[in-house]
Amino acid sequence: MDLALLSRVHLFPVRHHSPRTTAVLGRWLERVRPEVILVEGPCDATGLVDVLCDEATKPPVAILGYRTDGTPRSALWPFAEYSPEYAALRWAKANKARAEFIDIPVGVSLEVDREDSEEPGAEPGVETESAATSVTHEPEEPISERFAKERGYRSFEELWEAMFEAPDWTPEGFRPVLLAWADVLNAGPRNDYHRWRDAFMARKVLEVVASGVPPEKVAVVAGAAHVAAFIAGDVDAALEAKLPKGVPCAVTVIPYSFPRLAEQLGYGAGNRAPQFYQKAHEAKCDFRRATLEVLIDFAGHLRTRGFTASLSDVLEAYRLALTLADMREKSAPGLDELREATVATLCRGDATHVDGFLWKSVIGHQVGRVASRIGQNSLQAEFWREVDARRLPRSDSPETFSLRLNNDVEVGSSVFLHRLRVAGIPYAALQGAGQQRGAPPAEAGGYAALTRVRESWQAQWTPSTDVALVEKIVLGDTLEAVTTRILQERLTEAKSTADAADVLLESVITGCSQTVAAALRACDAHAATDSDLPSLASAARALSGLVAYGTSRAHADVGDEAVAVLCEKTFGRALLRVREASACAPDAVGPVLEALRTLHEVALAQPRADKAGWLAEARGLMESHAVHPSTSGLATGLLYLAQELAESDVALEVGRRLSLAVEPEAGAAYLEGFLQVNALVLVKSREVVKALDDFLTSVEAERFRQTLPVLRRALGALGPTERRYLMENVVALRQLGTKGQAVKVVLEEKDKEKLKDMSAELGKALDDLDDLL
Amino acid sequence: MPDIRLPAEAKYKTELEALAAHDDKPRPPGWALSPRAVEMYILGSPKPVGGVSITPKYVGDKGLIQVCIATLASDRALMLVGEPGTAKSWLSEHLSAAVSGTSALIVQGTAGTSEDHLKYSWNYALLLAQGPSPEALVPSPVLRAMKTGKFARFEEVTRTSPEIQDALISILSEKQVSIPELGDVVSAQRGFNLIATANTRDRGVNEMSAALKRRFNFVTVPVVEDLEQEIQIVTKREAELRNDYQVGVPPPEELSRLLLTLFQELRKGVTKDGKTKVRTPGAVLSTAEAISVLFNSSILAEQFGGGKVTPHELAASLVGAVVKEQEDDVKALREYMETVAKSRTGAWKELYTASKKLLRG
Repeated sequence: MDLALLSRVHLFPVRHHSPRTTAVLGRWLERVRPEVILVEGPCDATGLVDVLCDEATKPPVAILGYRTDGTPRSALWPFAEYSPEYAALRWAKANKARAEFIDIPVGVSLEVDREDSEEPGAEPGVETESAATSVTHEPEEPISERFAKERGYRSFEELWEAMFEAPDWTPEGFRPVLLAWADVLNAGPRNDYHRWRDAFMARKVLEVVASGVPPEKVAVVAGAAHVAAFIAGDVDAALEAKLPKGVPCAVTVIPYSFPRLAEQLGYGAGNRAPQFYQKAHEAKCDFRRATLEVLIDFAGHLRTRGFTASLSDVLEAYRLALTLADMREKSAPGLDELREATVATLCRGDATHVDGFLWKSVIGHQVGRVASRIGQNSLQAEFWREVDARRLPRSDSPETFSLRLNNDVEVGSSVFLHRLRVAGIPYAALQGAGQQRGAPPAEAGGYAALTRVRESWQAQWTPSTDVALVEKIVLGDTLEAVTTRILQERLTEAKSTADAADVLLESVITGCSQTVAAALRACDAHAATDSDLPSLASAARALSGLVAYGTSRAHADVGDEAVAVLCEKTFGRALLRVREASACAPDAVGPVLEALRTLHEVALAQPRADKAGWLAEARGLMESHAVHPSTSGLATGLLYLAQELAESDVALEVGRRLSLAVEPEAGAAYLEGFLQVNALVLVKSREVVKALDDFLTSVEAERFRQTLPVLRRALGALGPTERRYLMENVVALRQLGTKGQAVKVVLEEKDKEKLKDMSAELGKALDDLDDLL
Repeated sequence: MPDIRLPAEAKYKTELEALAAHDDKPRPPGWALSPRAVEMYILGSPKPVGGVSITPKYVGDKGLIQVCIATLASDRALMLVGEPGTAKSWLSEHLSAAVSGTSALIVQGTAGTSEDHLKYSWNYALLLAQGPSPEALVPSPVLRAMKTGKFARFEEVTRTSPEIQDALISILSEKQVSIPELGDVVSAQRGFNLIATANTRDRGVNEMSAALKRRFNFVTVPVVEDLEQEIQIVTKREAELRNDYQVGVPPPEELSRLLLTLFQELRKGVTKDGKTKVRTPGAVLSTAEAISVLFNSSILAEQFGGGKVTPHELAASLVGAVVKEQEDDVKALREYMETVAKSRTGAWKELYTASKKLLRG
């Protein structure tokens, strides 16, 4: 490798996403006027340069490289309008020069990345630029941060702004300082990966020269660390052989966004505040102007939120920012001055608003656009078409909206969003049904989705949405096809009736008519052999829901009658398993109880279900001593609630179950099952309460201790209202009321003071208890 | 007899003179030092300047001090806000001393502060004898600052009545005071500015109007959260106090660490290891309070103890500091001793035993 030749081409060192570098680079290119511009970026993405430079493409955009061998893995190379690489490509297009990428191919970096990165989705091309970030994995502070602190800056970003961004550099002045900086970073041991890339890029450059382009007409735009290595001649051609072969992959261009760019910190990787840099770029690197614009923005934000922020406040903030920059010997204010000035003036010394909402506007939420002629696959096209047609959010900030599922249009939107959910494409998340505030977050799909009349969603586009859309293309060309494929896979993996019924429900919710029929058949097949009561019960409920709410969303041709028949059959099969399942071990009783309640619910709600059969089974459970006592308790409660059992019968039954002859543990387990049903109704019945009271008072001390955990669990589930009723009934039963009043009168007369003390002590004890808990 | 307490400009005269002599940066009109030199005076310098070592007056965020100085340099009034005892007045005194060479032009804001304190009043004997004349006029510290182009200080703005705060607005916006009795108007000379302080704890007393707030740049002086930093501040200031008053014996480092740990834990309501919750007392546990506790115990040790500061003296001063008005605070401190101090070793054990006697009943 002729390294001397390498130093004859025009080398320009850059830092990614730096407006100043971009401005200086522009002037330098005008002077050098190269015929070929070689840019750091995956060489197999050279074909995308045209798309990147298209008039219709609006940064931030990113080159997306993804594996095509089935392993989900991808990497992004983002560009902002103020990225020097992007400016170089645009210059080449405007000046009819040839532009090429020269870094290692996507497939290689994807493979290398898999080996040495701990987090998936790390961006290799933009992330590990130099020794600076390669040492961040160690607890020790990176060189760049140490360097900045030694010079009195609070962070490397502040140093960069003050020394590189703000001063009005000439190309002659800028190149040496950037290279000197790269030398500082390269002083430590350099990561092998970067040395391999040095070798690869050097070869690419020399190939271009060898093809007959005079070296004076070649310009190389690459990271400062690489250029420094080229100039120092520190390139070992043999290292290229160490690069792995690479995995099969493809590249495309997707939109990117400012919030994502702000997340990538570290040398070369991103920006603290892309919107601020964008403003600076638009103002031709006049950071004073950018500061003023942002301050005006801030004042606007404050005013819309009802705070006072006048133009004179903005002026004062601007003046303070300038004075601060002056004091710190910076040529223009940077983000730190901007922040401090905002806090001291606009926010009156209180930083909460800045952190709360103002700072977001220097990050920005801009989303790029990619020229339509290439770059989008059919899934992306469908996604954007649907999002635009349905007026769904398309910015990179969370937005909430709700859908009323009483018209075709909004049902269509719901189907679209549910398809994205099933396909695993990150975009929207269900917020719950809207009306039940404070309720635990409901399951997004399944039975709950079927019964909803209103859905509330929160959607946010992020580049990962597009990444997923690109990756999922292997599963199908349309969202429906992808969803169908995924559901079919889940169906083949389904082991129980419940799993199959779940797929059936998801098929209906996502409007995948093909899988509806298949899932129905699978349900039928599984139900015949399934002996698991919880699975059967949950399937019965799913099917009953479908009978009630219809399968119209799916536009399936199987017809609702088929579902109804299957529902009847599944319910019947579930009934057959009730007795057997209820005679289970104590630790397995939870799901069984859940299943029994589900069956009860279905039996009462669904006319096609065998209600009489269920009631007979329940009665059997109630009377049986062979099953787990809590199932008997539950059955008793359910029957009472369904008014199949008179109050006196319940009291009799409960009394019998809790009598002295029965083991207290069994009694307590019975009680637990019994109180799991609507406890309010139960504790309102004085006769039931009497039976409970008799049971509790008759348990011996020793036994009581053993049964205490179960009792606690059973009674602990009661809410405040239920407890009050229970206490009222107990008080009435034992005729404590009158005694209590008598006691109260005496006490009030005598010991008012003492009582006060006691209650204070008690209050404190309770406070302490709260603290402990 | 020497003064009990020297103002900053007298106490640090040599430092200020050395800084002025070696200050080659441009100075804003009316300033004795350049902004950089003021910063160095406040934060201290690692290298001596002209053979004089510059001690740090404020330990903490450099950015905060720079915002203060930049505010003053851009001719804008500065408002220092924060919890009591966070060195707001201390900072204001040193800033005035460094920039104007005097920290004496001060108005203490109280409920009784009247417009006379802000503008001018009269020597009534002269007034009756001669009628209104410049000789009979008694200018307020603010008026004097305006005439001479120096910094005025206004302490505890939120304690003054709204009328006084309104009067302040016109002074700050017009930078002049008219004296109708003499048919005269006094305009502020270049170099005039105002540093005010306000407590965030008495925000409710007389909340500043939006119009007044607009006249200031605000800087929040934070409560010190870093243990090492607070130990540094407290031991340094306590040593200075002992030196000024020529009393007390130096307390051992272990005890200052113990005291500051206790203060920070009570302030935060949780122990340093984050494992035990403790009750926060109502009294303000500021850094200034810690300094006074430590100083107090060093005097106790010298005058009434064995000439060495022990946990015994510390406990005696501590109880008085934490338990100010509320009975509940006794409980909080007792609880802390029982749950936290008791289980620790070394001086903590002694502190526990010593405090047990004091906290009983």
